Amino acid sequence: MALVRNWQLGREMSYWYPEARPQRQFAAVFDINKCIACQTCTLACKTTWTSGKGQEYMLWNNVESKPYGFYPLAWDVKLLDMLGAQRWQGSRYAGRTLFEAAPAGERVLGWRPEDLDYAHPNIGEDDCAGRIDAGAALAVPHFAWFFYLARICNHCTYPACLASCPRGSIYKRPEDGIVLVDQGRCRGYRECVKACPYKKVFYNPSTGTSEKCIACYPKIEQGEQPQCFVNCIGKIRLAGFVSTPEQARPDNPIDYLVHVRKVALPLYPQLGLEPNVYYIPPVHVPLPYLEQMFGPGVSAALDTYRAAADDPDLAGLLTLFGCSHEVMPRWKRSGDTVLGLAENGRELMRVPLREPVYVRTAFDSARGVVRTNVP
Amino acid sequence: MRTLVTVVLVFLVIGCGSKPQAPLPEVTAFARPALPQGCEDPAWRSVPAHVAPLLLQDLVEPRQLVATTAAVTVQAVHDGSRVAFRLSWADPTHDDSPGAARFSDACAVQLPAVAGADLPAPQMGETGRPVEITAWRASWQASVDGRGDDMTALYPRAQVDHYPFTAPSLAPGSPEQEEMARRYAPARALGNPMEGPRSSPVEDLVADGPGTLRPAPRAMSTGSGRRTRDGWTVQLVRPLPAGVRPGQRGAVAFAVWDGSHEEAGARKMRTGWVPLAIGEGS
Repeated sequence: MALVRNWQLGREMSYWYPEARPQRQFAAVFDINKCIACQTCTLACKTTWTSGKGQEYMLWNNVESKPYGFYPLAWDVKLLDMLGAQRWQGSRYAGRTLFEAAPAGERVLGWRPEDLDYAHPNIGEDDCAGRIDAGAALAVPHFAWFFYLARICNHCTYPACLASCPRGSIYKRPEDGIVLVDQGRCRGYRECVKACPYKKVFYNPSTGTSEKCIACYPKIEQGEQPQCFVNCIGKIRLAGFVSTPEQARPDNPIDYLVHVRKVALPLYPQLGLEPNVYYIPPVHVPLPYLEQMFGPGVSAALDTYRAAADDPDLAGLLTLFGCSHEVMPRWKRSGDTVLGLAENGRELMRVPLREPVYVRTAFDSARGVVRTNVP
Repeated sequence: MRTLVTVVLVFLVIGCGSKPQAPLPEVTAFARPALPQGCEDPAWRSVPAHVAPLLLQDLVEPRQLVATTAAVTVQAVHDGSRVAFRLSWADPTHDDSPGAARFSDACAVQLPAVAGADLPAPQMGETGRPVEITAWRASWQASVDGRGDDMTALYPRAQVDHYPFTAPSLAPGSPEQEEMARRYAPARALGNPMEGPRSSPVEDLVADGPGTLRPAPRAMSTGSGRRTRDGWTVQLVRPLPAGVRPGQRGAVAFAVWDGSHEEAGARKMRTGWVPLAIGEGS
């Protein structure tokens, strides 16, 4: 075990390998508030990558309805229960990570789902938290609530899948931090399936190897955002590259949201993997639940997000979500216009801070017709 | 009735004739003019056996900390150039079907790549001192014995709508169709057939330390396995160890995986080096 720095925990932690950060780290921000669970991302991924034999059950991308939707069944609550109390002291995590809590003889604390755990994706999707009793009123946070959690591989800085593989079949690309399973080397032991807390490594019984989200690396290599990003109807996703806090750049859109404004937070940071998909938390959900899921920064993140309407920089950057098929590693706002830029400053996309509003009268005087057909 | 049963049992015991042979203290490969044709060949009945107690693999993570399979019974014969091992062990559960949480029963025979008194570490060898391994999996045997690789062969009630490579525009078995199928089976496309259609239930491997297991440069082993009433019997045939001739001695190690206990890779029951005597003759 080595001692490595995990900035999401505010401390060092134990990991199987020494710290070796990539030249740049693939990352993403998902704005949960915009997700409508249409599953277009799920199908975009499915049809692109997992249409083969043995991949039928695989969802490298899935959207589940929290708190009771899961894929696979109970993936997060089961592990949280195994891990025990997870205490934060301010922004410093005082509990144990999955690596620090590994039982004797294991590299990572984990569990392996049964076949049937994959059989009913999002089986609890119709169940919201609590009952809607007589007299219930709409308030924020809601008395009864649910939200949609879109998930892909987090391409973690400290992947548990990589740490658990006894034969080094999983590697993290130095050029972009994408985590891949070497399909020529994997022997299907499924230590990675057991170790990944997000359950984003899947065993293919037809080929006998484990497979996972590849962040559409052929597209990333071409400067394009992955399939689940560009097909997102709700425009909730933005792909890019995240820096460490010390090297954060305000003109990097991911850095701006994660480090500068701290409005996007990692998923279950207490597990210790330093995941690189960041979420803008849902505004209508009680804080205790969100803090368990996204750490101690939730309250401040929500305050910032709620004030975005009066914050042209933050609101402007949020308009860049889903507006281009290209990765925009830089950005800037110029008045009422927001620009997505290439690394060298070349303009890739230009969007207005506010879309123009046109009000059409019910009667079209130019054509002499009523615009509605309602009597 | 009880008297009748007793009489029948006594008759059966007497009728069996010969006394059971005492287990050998080491693995002995007896010389024979021809090797048995398979694990069920009657020729194996007269070959004395060594019973190898199995140890926990508790040296490297992930470790096997719960004892499962207790022992493996080993018989061996050679024909002067090849050696056949027959491994038999008790396993009440029959695990030969791959699945997300299904693991296959399996076994392996390990020999030093270079003969000599100074043996490499029995745990997969060590750097610069490799070992050769012949591995058998029950799921590979099931494939060789005719199980298809369709999802419905693994999950009979599964329903599959469509695969891109089964589109009507692609003639079944055509190069275009096979090319399309390979695109959706990346491990197979890379020549790493861990499951799926197989022509042999065994694989030749080399290793020079834990985590270094890799396919041998060439396939040299054959084998077959059969489910018995209470476990498995597997025959593995490979060339005699390099540098070991009839009348000489060597060493061999064994490993057994119990799929119902989710054993795979380093999670296994294994032996240390067991002395191997190659009988004179043949």
